[in-house]
Amino acid sequence: MTTQLTPTPVASPLVSPGSGFAAAAGRWAGALAGAIAIFSVLLLAKGADPLATLGDMVVSMTTGASLEQIVIKAAPFVLAAMAVVLPARAGLANVGGEGQVIIGAVAGAGVGLVVSGPAALPLMLVAGALGGALWAGLAVALRVTVGVNEAVTTLLLNYVALDVMLYLIYEPWKDANGSGQPATPPLAIEQRLPLLGGTAVHAGIILALLAAAAVWLTLRHTAFGFRLAVTGGNPEAARRAGLPVARLLLTAMLLGGALAGLAGVIHLAGIEFKLRPGLTTNIGYIAFLAAWLARHNPLPAVAAAFMLAAITVGGDSLQLDSGLPAATVNVLMALILLAVLGWTAKRSPS
Amino acid sequence: MRKLTTLAVLLTLPLIACSANTTGTATAPTAGSTPPGKDSAAVGFIFVGPKDDFGYNQAAYQGSQEVAKAFPNLEVITAENVPEDDNAARVMNSMIAKGAKIIFATSYGHLDAALKVAAEHPDVAVVQQGNLITAAVPPNAGTFFGTVYEPVYLAGIAAGKATKTGKLGYVYAFPITQTIDNINAFELGAQSVNPDAQTFTVSTSSWCDPGKQAEAAANLLKQGVDVITQHQDCTATVIKATEAAGKFTVGYHADASAIAPKGWLTGSQWNWGPLYTDIVKTALGGTFTGSKYNDNFRVGYRTGENPFVQSPYGPLVDDATKAEIDKARELLKTSSPFAGPIKDQEGKVRIPEGTVPDYTTIEKIDYFVAGVVGSLPKS
Amino acid sequence: MSDLVVDVLTGAVRGGTAIMFAALGETIAERAGVVNLGTEGSMLVGALGGYALAAETGSPWVGLVAGALAGGLLALVHAVMVVWRRSDQFATGLTVMFLGLGLTSLFGAAYVGRAAPGFDPVPVPLLADVPVLGEILFQHDPVTYLSFAAAPLLWWWLRSTRGGLLLRTAGERADVLHVHGYRPGLIRGAAVVAGGALAGIGGAQLATAYAHAWFEGMTAGRGFIAVALVIFAAWRPLWVMAGSYLFGAALALAPALQARGESLNQFALDALPFLITLAILAILGRRTLRAAPEELRRVFT
Repeated sequence: MTTQLTPTPVASPLVSPGSGFAAAAGRWAGALAGAIAIFSVLLLAKGADPLATLGDMVVSMTTGASLEQIVIKAAPFVLAAMAVVLPARAGLANVGGEGQVIIGAVAGAGVGLVVSGPAALPLMLVAGALGGALWAGLAVALRVTVGVNEAVTTLLLNYVALDVMLYLIYEPWKDANGSGQPATPPLAIEQRLPLLGGTAVHAGIILALLAAAAVWLTLRHTAFGFRLAVTGGNPEAARRAGLPVARLLLTAMLLGGALAGLAGVIHLAGIEFKLRPGLTTNIGYIAFLAAWLARHNPLPAVAAAFMLAAITVGGDSLQLDSGLPAATVNVLMALILLAVLGWTAKRSPS
Repeated sequence: MRKLTTLAVLLTLPLIACSANTTGTATAPTAGSTPPGKDSAAVGFIFVGPKDDFGYNQAAYQGSQEVAKAFPNLEVITAENVPEDDNAARVMNSMIAKGAKIIFATSYGHLDAALKVAAEHPDVAVVQQGNLITAAVPPNAGTFFGTVYEPVYLAGIAAGKATKTGKLGYVYAFPITQTIDNINAFELGAQSVNPDAQTFTVSTSSWCDPGKQAEAAANLLKQGVDVITQHQDCTATVIKATEAAGKFTVGYHADASAIAPKGWLTGSQWNWGPLYTDIVKTALGGTFTGSKYNDNFRVGYRTGENPFVQSPYGPLVDDATKAEIDKARELLKTSSPFAGPIKDQEGKVRIPEGTVPDYTTIEKIDYFVAGVVGSLPKS
Repeated sequence: MSDLVVDVLTGAVRGGTAIMFAALGETIAERAGVVNLGTEGSMLVGALGGYALAAETGSPWVGLVAGALAGGLLALVHAVMVVWRRSDQFATGLTVMFLGLGLTSLFGAAYVGRAAPGFDPVPVPLLADVPVLGEILFQHDPVTYLSFAAAPLLWWWLRSTRGGLLLRTAGERADVLHVHGYRPGLIRGAAVVAGGALAGIGGAQLATAYAHAWFEGMTAGRGFIAVALVIFAAWRPLWVMAGSYLFGAALALAPALQARGESLNQFALDALPFLITLAILAILGRRTLRAAPEELRRVFT
């Protein structure tokens, strides 16, 4: 303990790039092993055999149907993770993915209620992106005008978004021909995202991967990406260098919100087809963590989104094969996240 | 840049092979396929909440364990906390992959996922608890439920007799039809013995937020309500608040008389075992399609064994009240709590005199009856 | 009408107390320079710890202590991660929240539906009979009375004691502490743990004094509200107290109206507390950020 308590300079950089790949892989393996070891102890405490339990879980993730499910789950995770990655480059913490996903789905569903035919789907996608951008825009507007921290406002807006959706599905948008449950009428076939040849996977994953590639390109190869990075690195310096900081923050957050909104609308048009309570089941929060796992690098964030999707799907096995309580998978996810967040970054010597 | 173009092309390639997303709408083939559920090695149950919630989900879980007892060779697979969205379809599919050809989707909001799974697996019988299939019922699916509002009506009689202020309280989550029926039946039961009784409603917008429940109960009590009942997934908070105030409790989901030893009147609770067992038996025997369970099956006091039963009485319910309730129970065997005339809050007659509505009509009621205080969202 | 106001204010104290404890805890952590979104998790483990130990030992006071320990222990995870492993505060806090949610539903099932002794309202002699104020303030449970003292005590402690000075310095000018041979990391870690313990007390109050029940996820976002409150209270304990009651009042308004047969849109009322918080943040705007501890400003910008 004493060595850890030695005072260290505050706010030293978290990660220094350029560490060896082997060392990084070693840290990741060590962290994951540690998380799984602690999880095994918990499993023993609940009277389960860790080896059999984890074995069943891994086996369950590799069936064809599970792989399809992982891809379906990962699609909105990827988009919502990009919604964190892009603003983060400018130093903004977008904790509001959940609300932006909901509003995206709401906007898409709203267009779906009034527009039919081949124009419906593209319009829904656009509306979803605009809806998400609007929701994120509320938070970033407060940030650039009166300086309120966006992490807090985006978090609060998540709750408001949920109430907006509940209001709509319990009142004006409720399916009059349904059985009284609070949900919008199902989307027509032409309003849905098509399936990829012969699988259960909808085309949302293509959109998500294209969006991730676009974010990667933007951040890495464009002047805009560079300006964002400068702003995120030191806003004061950026301002003195003549960068339009407020506009950059605004743009980054609006784009992020649009991506999260898109996540909501592809989830709606790809698999859910109706707005309903609990539509998003934590997509925004899980994606936020995926983005952090990847330390806000777009391509690793895609991998992290897939990993968290896989844990969610594999988590079913903990119940179905091993009879453990549903919450077990949350514990596993949290332990892995803590291990990776805390023990995989290469630290600058202190 | 070339690499990026290749990447973009590769990513768009699968789009060429796209097909229309008819998930959940395909109709199951009928001729020649195995009867749904026949000779299944396992049966799967999904629950929306924790299986030990001391409420709705626990009752369903206990039902599943009675199935396990009745069919020792059958593997009973259960999953709790299954959300009411496409995650439910995934979990059900995993159960099918493990050999289950009979699936119980036990929450109201599991219907869409259940229908999707049924469409994908014609050899699997999928039954859903509590909702209604409004379109044609597929040959391998069905919904089932009891008439929960009937014992609630009987409990309303006990409440109407017990109240001194004429004010009853109802804490509910969301205005879904099941809840609306319960609130109406409770008020109608109370009115039948106490014409001036009113039911004050407070919604918590959550199936379980004990903090909001505590506030709801406190405010109802403050307004002079002296009998409180509820439609919540977790029930202890409201019951304890009512008991602490020395007022009366009407229970829901479970016999909670232990935590309200003084003020407990009666309540409604579940006994799913016999119904679940019969559904499993029907499906195993290969006769699911065309059976009564291959429909929107409803069972109540008029048709037979209601899985909803009245909870035991508390110490303060007198014999006269019990006799009144016995009389009403007999009457329900041929009538309904919603036998006309039924007026809504504006005084408009919604069900004319002499009409005994069927179960499906009752499940579509979207108004509060006269005597209920509070309002419903307009849709 | 006036009677509606009394009911809403009474409800504000009743429902705001748990949030206040959590928010005061978060104030301690943030004054030392650490944001802890895991407050929600600390409240949850505090609620379970409080209820479970009250059930096991028969004493809600033992439960309260257990709730504090549980909340502090979970916050220790955040402290270790953030202070010594230098991981991101927001992501870690959110993860710690998930950990608390998972652990409590894993080990809490046994206590759902189990009876436990709780704190009952104890009217304060004489004061309880004062018109209006007596009902609003002096007909509550003992933990609520403790909370009346908590905010002024914290205010005094931060302002006038050596410990308070060290804590504030850890949040403002850590290098100064360093020069004087103190370990800012240790002070920050202790602040986070103490904050978690207070959140745990809040959770225990929610379970054993307000709701008299344990159920998984029962804090329902109150921990996040607490974090937001601290910011709009500009890190000042007495403002935190006021903010908690404001939020409690917003929560109490819906049931108070409904119990009177007043119909207002259910979902609009539900959104109200969050909208009020947002509005206040917008109005206070830069003023709050200027009040932020220096170290925190790094996190927030």
